[in-house]
Amino acid sequence: MLGFTNSFGLALAVSVAFMSTSMHSIAQEGSRDEIAMLAQKTITKYCYDCHTGANPEGGIRVDFLATGTELGDHIELVDKIILVLKDQQMPPADSEQPEGADRVQAIEWIEQRLRKFDCGSASRPGRVTMRRLNRTEYNNTVRDLTGLDLKLANDFPSDDVGNGFDNIGDVLSLPPILMEKYLASAKQIADEVIKNVDATKKVFPTEPADILDEVIEVTRSNVMHFASRAFRRPLDADETQRLSKLMRAAWEANATKEEIMQTIITVVLASPHFIYRIEDDDPKDFVDGIRPLNDFELASRLSYFLWSSMPDDRLFQLAGEEKLHTADQLNAEVDRMLADPKSRALVENFAGQWLQLRDLDALSPDPIKFATFDAKLRRSMRQETELLFNSILKENRSILELLSADYTYLDERLARHYDIGGISGDEFRRVDLQGKRRGMLMHGSILLLTSNPTRTSPVKRGKWVLENLLAEPPPPPPPNVPELGAEGETLGTLRQQMEQHRTNPNCAVCHVKMDAVGFGLENFDAIGAWRESDGRERIDPSGILPGGRNFNGPLDLVQILVEDKKTEFTRCVTLKMLTYALGRGLGVADRCSVSSIVNKLAEENYRFGILIKSIVTSPPFTHQESGR
Amino acid sequence: MSSLMNSKLSRRTVLRGLGVSLALPWLEATSSVAKAAAVTSGPTRMAFIFVPNGVVMNNWMPKTEGYGFQLTRTLEPLAPVKDDLLVLSGLTHDKGRANGDGAGDHARSASVFLTGAQPRKTDGEHIRSGISVDQLAAKAVGQKTRFSSLELGVDPGKMAGNCDSGYSCAYSSNISWSGEANPVGKEVNPRLVFERLFAGGKPSEADKSQQQREALQKSVLDFIADDAKRLQSKLGRNDNRKLDEYLTGVREVERRIGTKTAKPVDIDVEYAIPDGIPGDYQDHMRMMCDLMVLAFQTDSTRIATMMFANAGDNKNYRKIGVPEGHHDLSHHGENPEKLEKLSKINHFQIQQLSYLLQKMKSIREGDRTLLDNSMVVYGSGLSDGNRHNHDNLPILLAGSGGGTIETGRHLRYDLETPVCNLFMSMLDRMGVDAPFIGDSTGRLSGLSV
Repeated sequence: MLGFTNSFGLALAVSVAFMSTSMHSIAQEGSRDEIAMLAQKTITKYCYDCHTGANPEGGIRVDFLATGTELGDHIELVDKIILVLKDQQMPPADSEQPEGADRVQAIEWIEQRLRKFDCGSASRPGRVTMRRLNRTEYNNTVRDLTGLDLKLANDFPSDDVGNGFDNIGDVLSLPPILMEKYLASAKQIADEVIKNVDATKKVFPTEPADILDEVIEVTRSNVMHFASRAFRRPLDADETQRLSKLMRAAWEANATKEEIMQTIITVVLASPHFIYRIEDDDPKDFVDGIRPLNDFELASRLSYFLWSSMPDDRLFQLAGEEKLHTADQLNAEVDRMLADPKSRALVENFAGQWLQLRDLDALSPDPIKFATFDAKLRRSMRQETELLFNSILKENRSILELLSADYTYLDERLARHYDIGGISGDEFRRVDLQGKRRGMLMHGSILLLTSNPTRTSPVKRGKWVLENLLAEPPPPPPPNVPELGAEGETLGTLRQQMEQHRTNPNCAVCHVKMDAVGFGLENFDAIGAWRESDGRERIDPSGILPGGRNFNGPLDLVQILVEDKKTEFTRCVTLKMLTYALGRGLGVADRCSVSSIVNKLAEENYRFGILIKSIVTSPPFTHQESGR
Repeated sequence: MSSLMNSKLSRRTVLRGLGVSLALPWLEATSSVAKAAAVTSGPTRMAFIFVPNGVVMNNWMPKTEGYGFQLTRTLEPLAPVKDDLLVLSGLTHDKGRANGDGAGDHARSASVFLTGAQPRKTDGEHIRSGISVDQLAAKAVGQKTRFSSLELGVDPGKMAGNCDSGYSCAYSSNISWSGEANPVGKEVNPRLVFERLFAGGKPSEADKSQQQREALQKSVLDFIADDAKRLQSKLGRNDNRKLDEYLTGVREVERRIGTKTAKPVDIDVEYAIPDGIPGDYQDHMRMMCDLMVLAFQTDSTRIATMMFANAGDNKNYRKIGVPEGHHDLSHHGENPEKLEKLSKINHFQIQQLSYLLQKMKSIREGDRTLLDNSMVVYGSGLSDGNRHNHDNLPILLAGSGGGTIETGRHLRYDLETPVCNLFMSMLDRMGVDAPFIGDSTGRLSGLSV
């Protein structure tokens, strides 16, 4: 992953450096020179012994790191350095270790310099590993190919998640059991198509006359039409010939017309050309290891991104005419496709995974402590967040409204949960929040998702915000951290306990970030209902964010996030959505594409449509790198 | 037990009743379930069961060694099968340790469990572990049965987000790896397992000759295999790795069709068709255990793996008085209340293991039992969930591997003895000749006396 960070982190690093003197120092900004000096000292002290000179350890020389040099020349190496520093792989365990705070500071200083790196035209589009259709994509593709919404993939083994999403080519494997399912489903779909008149027409649109020659010709053209739609591209001569041969063989084996059709449909739907989204890696097509995708490949990238399904007739037509690849045309198609009900898939699959709404089903809050909670409320919670996301998407509003919307979507059940009156019935409607809540951070869904079954977890909430809204996942805790309560009795409120925990500067360096955000949301209990107290203790929802901004309560907190963190948030949404759109984890080479999308969004009022259009016209989306 | 267990049908009735919904005539592997091996003693089987988050070792490890050891409170449900098992203490999965890779012990604890290989730390790109012991055996002897192996679980993989500290969820939700980059997904729905195992039992249709249908199904497989082979030259390295999985799958299906000559099974098994995933967790676990036993009993496979839960699982066990999440609790900080609750979860899981083992013991195979003919490994890739240590792991081995293992003892091994040495000893007994697996250094001593 990219190591983006920002002034938030920077200010934090500074604040930690001063922490020992007084808590007030959290609110102070250190001078940039001072930060650089301290970071350089850390790097020189802990890295240079082994990684400088003529014979550096592992052949890795880092003596450029603590100088003012442009990091751009070493961008791949720097990315790896950040990773091993964050993971505490370096310095090696048997060497002297920097204090946690010094380590974090050094990392953030390097990242800050990396961000200044001028991209120029150096960026490479990256290689997306051939993507198997995941369960959702398989279901939707079969639906759009045959008109039958069979959802057979619901019985396939679950797809593994990588980089936060279940559409990552490298992670989507195909164990033998799945091959069995593909074959069985292909056969079942073939049966269903032949049983259903409308589906037969959709799959084989041309009606043959009664003359034998014509029957053969029409059948052949029907088959090629179907295979071409299923493979999402025109067939080559070899494929046409092999399919014809198969039909002929079946016919000669006395198969009935239905059986021939069945065999063809089965073969096509079990073929790797259907099951995988293949982008050829033929050396002759590449210049300097890069090639633009052809229009059919682009059509598939677009449709699986926005619809989680195959291209429709119009996309095929544009691709056939080679008109799709211009920026204007891609943008026009984005507008058209988002207006289509199929774009619901983007909400369910992108938002469902980015915000982890899909995990809600697996959660069960303690029924004794949270007697009002039930499956219906859980469904309503998920729907609220999906509807907000959907409305901002459809109305092309600012993505910042995800954080700051002063309206939401509620049914009676959820409105009651939020203590908002005047809403009756199961139908969701847009509701003015009357200053009680703002944005998705105060949605029941997110608040529940970031709690334990019996209580809230400010750390989980804070960590969720850092990971999913700011793309600054805190590093894992160093090994052998003493547990809460291990050193003497911890007493008092959860907050007091956490503050005790944070007296250790090595913990504080990250927890001061996480906990402040989490405590700002403590007025919401583990299922997202408002509360003034936790047990006998009154909730104190105030805090100081690293960087020094004071807040008092969740509305304040969100206001600061929207004002001070909009660049970080925008970058985070861009990272997540680009990952999802491409089906691969992002690397250091994607840094420039991401930055230019973020800049574009800032110029265009952060409109959702701009984000999507910038992605589909970006080099990683429109180009492919050779994987040979 | 849930209502779906109420109607007991003979398996034959069941298979007739499955009807057309499962019909896959061109893929029908066999007209009936393969006959259990004719040899009176029965073939040797191996099974592996994974539990997450470690266990409370104080309540797990017996105080004395050798014969006549005292079952501890966590292991107490195993009393009826105590003489059929070994408690193996002191074993280590070194490759579950960070070894320079930082946090992520939970993900590693699952991926290392049967592979003994250090997983590459990646959230997506180039996932890599190693071949697992079950898959190594499946490649060597799996062709003797219709299914070379069976991968079962109770919980599906995570649906979104991150699993553990920069490790893809593939590492946390799979223990079987057919190659270093190929996790073998597991089946969690009992109905689907049942259908997969026994769908072939549908009587063949009379209207078409079997031969003709076979010709058609073969042409389908030939065609798609040909598709894949033609693609190979057009793709680069990573894409081709994916395509290999596809080709392996096609070959596996082809092989199953090839083994269709097996005679119809002539034992009667009473079992109702599961109709989906039971709402109750214990019912679900037991049903998956039942299916494993059925698969062994009918010699549909001799190799199985089961994940009682995924690595780092945080589900609650409210029914046994534990409303907190399992993973949260496992960071117990020596808090007695948390240790108590964790022990309850450990105990509950051992109860399910005991259910499985007792069931296996109740099935006679000649002069032995199914359990005698099996080697069932149960354990976790973590020892103490609080410390995340990968040494002194909680490991049990049940069954005598066809009379080759002297059970009824607690064996303590030198610290740092690789778990993979146990796997080597098991592979020997499966008739699998492997030079090594993972970080094995030899065989485990003292299994037989």
